[in-house]
Amino acid sequence: MLDSPEKTTSSVLRARPKPRLVTLSINGEPHEVVVRPHIMLLEVIRDHVGLTGTKDGCESGTCGACTVLLDGKPVLACITLAVECDGMNVQTIEGLSEGGQLSDLQEAFLDQAATQCGFCTPGVIMSSKALLDSNPKPTVPEIKKALEGNLCRCTGYNSIVDAILQYSGQGVKPLMRKDGAP
Amino acid sequence: MSDLKFIGQNMRRKDGPDKVSGKAVYSQDVKLPGMLVGRVLRSPHPHARILRIDTAKARALPGVKAIITHADTIGVRHGFVETPRYPADQDVLAKDKVAHVGEEIAAVAAIDEITAQKALELIEVEYEILPAVFDAEEAMQPGAPEIRAKHPKVLENLANIAGKTETEWGDVEAGFAEADYVREDRFENQLRTHGYLEPQVTLAHWESDKLNVWTSSMGTFIKRAKLSRTLGLPYSQVRIHKTYVGGTFGGKIDLYSHEYCAARLSMLTGRPVRITANRDEIFSAYRHSQTLTIELKTGVRKDGTILAQRVRIINNAGAHRGSGVVVIFLAWGFIMGPYRIPNLKYEGYAVYTNHTTRAPQRGHGAPKVRFAIESQLDMIADHLGIDPVTIRLRNARGPWEELPNKDNTHEAGLLDCIKEVAAKSDYLNKWRHGRQQPDPTSTIRRGIGMGVTTYMSGTLIYPNGSGVIVKLNDDGSVIVLTGALDVGQGAETVITQIVAEELSIGMDDIKLIASDTDTTPQDIGAWISGMTYVTGNATRQAASNAREKILKVASQEMGVPVEYLGVENKSVFNVADSQQRMTYAQVFSASVAKHRGDTIVGEGFWRTMRDEPTHPSLATTKGRWTENYAFSAQVAEVEVDIETGEARLVKAYTLHDCGFPVNPGLIKGQVDGQVSMALGQAFMEEVMTKKGYTLNPTWLDYRMPLIHNMAASEDAEVITEQYRVGKPYRTKEVGEGLVSGVLAGIANAIYDATGVRMTSAPFTPEKILAGLRKLEREKAKELVSQ
Repeated sequence: MLDSPEKTTSSVLRARPKPRLVTLSINGEPHEVVVRPHIMLLEVIRDHVGLTGTKDGCESGTCGACTVLLDGKPVLACITLAVECDGMNVQTIEGLSEGGQLSDLQEAFLDQAATQCGFCTPGVIMSSKALLDSNPKPTVPEIKKALEGNLCRCTGYNSIVDAILQYSGQGVKPLMRKDGAP
Repeated sequence: MSDLKFIGQNMRRKDGPDKVSGKAVYSQDVKLPGMLVGRVLRSPHPHARILRIDTAKARALPGVKAIITHADTIGVRHGFVETPRYPADQDVLAKDKVAHVGEEIAAVAAIDEITAQKALELIEVEYEILPAVFDAEEAMQPGAPEIRAKHPKVLENLANIAGKTETEWGDVEAGFAEADYVREDRFENQLRTHGYLEPQVTLAHWESDKLNVWTSSMGTFIKRAKLSRTLGLPYSQVRIHKTYVGGTFGGKIDLYSHEYCAARLSMLTGRPVRITANRDEIFSAYRHSQTLTIELKTGVRKDGTILAQRVRIINNAGAHRGSGVVVIFLAWGFIMGPYRIPNLKYEGYAVYTNHTTRAPQRGHGAPKVRFAIESQLDMIADHLGIDPVTIRLRNARGPWEELPNKDNTHEAGLLDCIKEVAAKSDYLNKWRHGRQQPDPTSTIRRGIGMGVTTYMSGTLIYPNGSGVIVKLNDDGSVIVLTGALDVGQGAETVITQIVAEELSIGMDDIKLIASDTDTTPQDIGAWISGMTYVTGNATRQAASNAREKILKVASQEMGVPVEYLGVENKSVFNVADSQQRMTYAQVFSASVAKHRGDTIVGEGFWRTMRDEPTHPSLATTKGRWTENYAFSAQVAEVEVDIETGEARLVKAYTLHDCGFPVNPGLIKGQVDGQVSMALGQAFMEEVMTKKGYTLNPTWLDYRMPLIHNMAASEDAEVITEQYRVGKPYRTKEVGEGLVSGVLAGIANAIYDATGVRMTSAPFTPEKILAGLRKLEREKAKELVSQ
């Protein structure tokens, strides 16, 4: 599979560097993709592999909507070259609810109504997961530090902080309730 | 409300599971085989005549499938407003001239992005540069470069007038003459963008004589109308599909050129065409908010009672009318809503300049208007020695007041909002504390400020009404067809709650098919703050209609009169003998068997102000505007560092009369989001331009609130209405009006903390420091003169 549609400037078109084979594990599944060296990880995830949960908000590393975990560390997939990820493990939002079962972290986002338009949500959850994997009971300043690269225009961030505090068992109770037969 | 099981409850979002798992499909996620990439050629000049466009070289490039210019359109213009007074003034692609940087000139469809970009570079355009003007007050002057002909009905000797709103009542000069204190002030506002995270993106596919479109929008029916007209297609030949939308805030309402271009290019090539605007394009060429300049003269009695107000607003409307002629109408509404003004004279001008065209933005002018009025009211109170709470209570409108346009305030809860927000924030104890007893060891000064606002809850703009269909399934579960679009506000959740309550059925047993122009009924859209009221009542009616049919069949089957039947948990029961019951599934079978196959389908429709033929006059404000006014009072607590001038919002308190809260948890989300938008507007955000070029077209340079800027936010409702199953209800808006009070409150709190009065937004460290230095100089002068 060749890298199409491509997303760069015309100077690259003239140069046309040779494609390379990149092997990735995405959510535990092995993937081999053939990409030119300027292709970003985001394009591989969304267009080559077809996992569209990871969002494309700015293509310039300024909004955090494309955050995925690369060997457990949060990266901005829109400014990470795919060829640099050869042999590495990528985790995307789809990997958190394998088999259709939402993870407790995702449930906590629902409990706190921490998603509105939802466009930033996959990136926010991946940044949160990276934090919580290494720091199971983060303080509010630690949460803010970990999420400082994720823009959210809808929530004002309050409910996002509450979701992480709830998940990490720090005294925040669910705000919203699940459906139940009346 | 105690017997309600879903309404008034913090029910989780219906769309939540899809959104937290990455399954929610946005327009950028839709992909079709054979899809082409579209790109738009934009003007590099703020004002220029187009002398020649030559696309030959671009067409010859391998991989280019189609190129369009104005010559390939049917020449039908569009506009945010399309009325006899304000006919459409936007070409989908520039005809003879361009009037702002980034105006669309041509579009290309190619096999990939590189080829499309290359093709744009090969299109030759010859321009004759025209003189440009960017400041609205300069553009108004006779002899200024003419961007478009002045509106023929505005007779003043002014240039570039796109539109004017003018109204008055009472005798404003007599009011000023009677006043004990009169003051005049001028307030200015910055250019600010919406900051939706999802870029504008459109996929169009012309297939079997039908145009299928997936686009990031705020209402699919208005997009269908505008696309149909500009393409010359019957409405039935255009289908706008549902996608989730990654934030809008006013910036994705009416037609955008790229939507037309994707559609036209698909019609020419017979292949799907996707156009995505990159972030730089959105910052540089797309529609931002309105920068209102507000001149405000107010006369009051000694006790603070407002006697007269004269307001003149100048709106820098950009290169087309856009919503610029609407915001000068709305500004009047935001002035006259909260306080009684016995004598008023209002003039609003929308002025063409060589900036990008403007769009509504959350609150559509209200934050700017309330910033001015609430600031001046505090200045008046300060002069008269009255506290900010008392002066507001003295002037605030109560219930059942008739407004000058014959609207009514109904059960207005504004007085309670003001009293309760003052109590909750301990306002009067904190007020003046920071300035009078500053901590001498610290450079931080704390201040508190209040702002009041009112907002419409739905009005009459195309498509004016909403319809909903509720279908019972064989198994007793339900499918709802609604044209409403969930842009993040929670439309799908609220609609589901209403159906669940009316039919006594779990929310998980309700599935929605939404905002697809071919399969769902028409809907007002997510942009006039009327969804919960208008679409919500249509939903209630549709569910009630289905319930009546269910009860009728059950009554016949059970031999029990309808009035002795109740519903619970997907079944009908005999109130006198609860053992006697039929499940909805059994009712469905009985209905099909004995009622000529009737599968139980409920219909509901709603329109606000059903006796009004149309929307009020944008020119004179005559006619009803809305039948549901939402009211709110908000308090901001800020900290200002007097050494650096840096200010921040510490906490916001919001008391709002939203009628009754269908889902308080979702309302809290709306409040928090608006608090965040207000603090961005107050402290950080500004699209910087020079000669029409955007200087900060990225989120690194255009600073939007980060998690570090988060402020504490507390909110409570003043409940003035009730929800009863089977009965019409009133709700009031809660998604737009709550930016205003926080913005105004922040300005007043900065004054409370420092004595520095903010008259232009944003409230930057430079402005605050300059104010502090001026105060110091005045103090020094006083000392010298003593």
